[in-house]
Amino acid sequence: MTRSKVPHIALIGCGAIAEEYYLPALASLPEIMENLILVDENPSRLDKLSAKYPVRRKVRDYREVQNEADGVIIALPTGLHALVGVEFLSRGIPVLCEKPLAEDAARARILIEMAHQKETELVVNYLQRIIPHFAMVKQLLASKTFGSPLKMEYVIGEIFNWPTVSGFYFKSDPSTRGILRDRGAHAVDHICWWLGGKPTVISSCNDSFGGSEAVAHVEFERDSCKGKLVMSWFADVPCRFSIECEKATIEGEIYDYQKLIISENGRKREMIVESPIHTKLDVAREIASNFVAVIQKEERPLVCGSDVLESIEFTDEAYEKARLMNMPWYRFEEVQDVA
Amino acid sequence: MSPDTLTLVTGAGGFIGGWVAETLYLRGEPVRAGVHSWSGAARPARFCMDIVPCNIMNPAELDEAMQGVSQVIHCAKGSDESIAQGTQNVLEAAYRHGVQRFLHVSTTEVFGQQSGRIDETFPCQSMQDPYADNKIQAENVCWEYHSKGLPMVILRPPIVYGPFSKTFTVNLAYKLLAGNWGIFKGAADGLCNLIYISDLVDGILLAAKSDLAPGQVFILNGPEQPTWNEYFERFNDALDLPPLKVYESQGIGFKTRLMEPLRDSIKFARNRFERFIKLVAARQRQARRIMKFVETRMKTTPRVHDLKLYGRRATYLSGKARHMLGYQPVVDLEEGLQMSVQWLDQIGMRNFRYTKGAR
Repeated sequence: MTRSKVPHIALIGCGAIAEEYYLPALASLPEIMENLILVDENPSRLDKLSAKYPVRRKVRDYREVQNEADGVIIALPTGLHALVGVEFLSRGIPVLCEKPLAEDAARARILIEMAHQKETELVVNYLQRIIPHFAMVKQLLASKTFGSPLKMEYVIGEIFNWPTVSGFYFKSDPSTRGILRDRGAHAVDHICWWLGGKPTVISSCNDSFGGSEAVAHVEFERDSCKGKLVMSWFADVPCRFSIECEKATIEGEIYDYQKLIISENGRKREMIVESPIHTKLDVAREIASNFVAVIQKEERPLVCGSDVLESIEFTDEAYEKARLMNMPWYRFEEVQDVA
Repeated sequence: MSPDTLTLVTGAGGFIGGWVAETLYLRGEPVRAGVHSWSGAARPARFCMDIVPCNIMNPAELDEAMQGVSQVIHCAKGSDESIAQGTQNVLEAAYRHGVQRFLHVSTTEVFGQQSGRIDETFPCQSMQDPYADNKIQAENVCWEYHSKGLPMVILRPPIVYGPFSKTFTVNLAYKLLAGNWGIFKGAADGLCNLIYISDLVDGILLAAKSDLAPGQVFILNGPEQPTWNEYFERFNDALDLPPLKVYESQGIGFKTRLMEPLRDSIKFARNRFERFIKLVAARQRQARRIMKFVETRMKTTPRVHDLKLYGRRATYLSGKARHMLGYQPVVDLEEGLQMSVQWLDQIGMRNFRYTKGAR
């Protein structure tokens, strides 16, 4: 495809992520918006979003755009990513898939393999890799500026308030849901990316009584580094990470995109990472324009499917090893029966 | 009520409703968890229970949620403005569907600023507080439906704490961990009528089963009534924090009055310009620092309403519930705080030390 042709992109799935993230980002690319096709089985969602964002057309079945789209953005419930993604990849159509790429590593491999076979691109929205302070941590660890990492702590605590339209998080197959699979996709990806590969899960526990977990703890290890991931959907607590290396400790707040705190020789200093990326929308615009350039064969994907496979394997392992947390506030005999 | 009674719990994504729904589920009793929206379903969704959207301001959702239900435990609160109207909507749907018992979770705040030893014979009294006033109005609507033939039980708990409590556990822990909270001499020597959540749930479920309950109001209180200052101190100890600072009542009163207009202005600005404020915070480091500082100060300064509560010298008596329902609270403050802190640890609240102004 040449630069002269503006690609026709189909946005499949018109739920909250399309409304809050993809459409505002695509709106900064007027030519793309003019040729955008919205796809959703729910006509009221199509009407609502097309009223706000004038698009080329709207359809209810993604199969209608298979011969028309030059690229597709999959913003569907996780359980549908592999199913729909394969259909487009098998036709050689580039795909930008929302995180998590798939509900497990087996399905993620199918998508990656299909993209490889058909020599097309599978781009994934693991947006946090391009957030400046996360990228700086990667750089500091990869260059061993402060020596090897020895200890890592990562805490995410935020009240679940995503305006999910379908509620798929909470009513589909338990294998597709929970904080570790959802919000954890970014955290686990950071951990694997920063450490240069998948750590081994030492222990894992969560609060699932058969449904989707809202609290998860995972302890892990890779080479000389031991770490702990703590995640919760129940209260807004400081979301931070801390990495103790041989010569210094790197700390950061998850939502302060440009600042790290370096503790070295008993002294703390701020490291400001200058970047034009300040907000999630800035990141979304980067992802969207990269995808357009990928379709036009002008750029490589910022993050592709195979980049995140290990993080999905890590998540699978954490689920496999998970036990029920100790929750003494529930009466033991009652919990035992259910668990 | 028969063991097959299907109970709809409204507000099942919230603190009390979540506990009621979970307890019924863990006891193997048929329960339907009504949530305000799917985004509020994270808590009940941990169990394989029946969850339905049940916005109390949406009659169509209520109608759907009420299918096959014999009993309603109404814990949803909504905004101050929707308490009374929302309750009326739930009552109407329950009435039309022939529900056999309706339990309305109210609050001892309906007694207003009355002091002394208070039981169910005391009248409700307005204190010009939107939450309490709307709760009084909601109770009045409940009695209207009771007289129409919907069997009603009203439950009035005081200060409910424990795992999943936002107001009296998470928010207070935040204030304590931030290091800006303290002992407010002369301003928080009123009685803190604390009930641990599982005791409250036991009381509610006893009322759900008792033949004597319909048509009655029950106060459900806990086994101990420390002063508010004692509660702050014991919570602080349970969190293993350094001793609290002591503030004189004049100083804290002045700070509270000073902060109140600022709080209102910030709330107003946030409601209208949230996107813009977030954008400024994201792009301007200095602005973000100032906003964080102000936010922490706001969250860790008592409000005028709080000081009224902290100074109130009232004991709410649950003798009627004890005699008629066999209600017996069993979790003392030490155990309740221990559970609360364990839960706070589990959700990551103490994994990093809070620093002043940082969050």
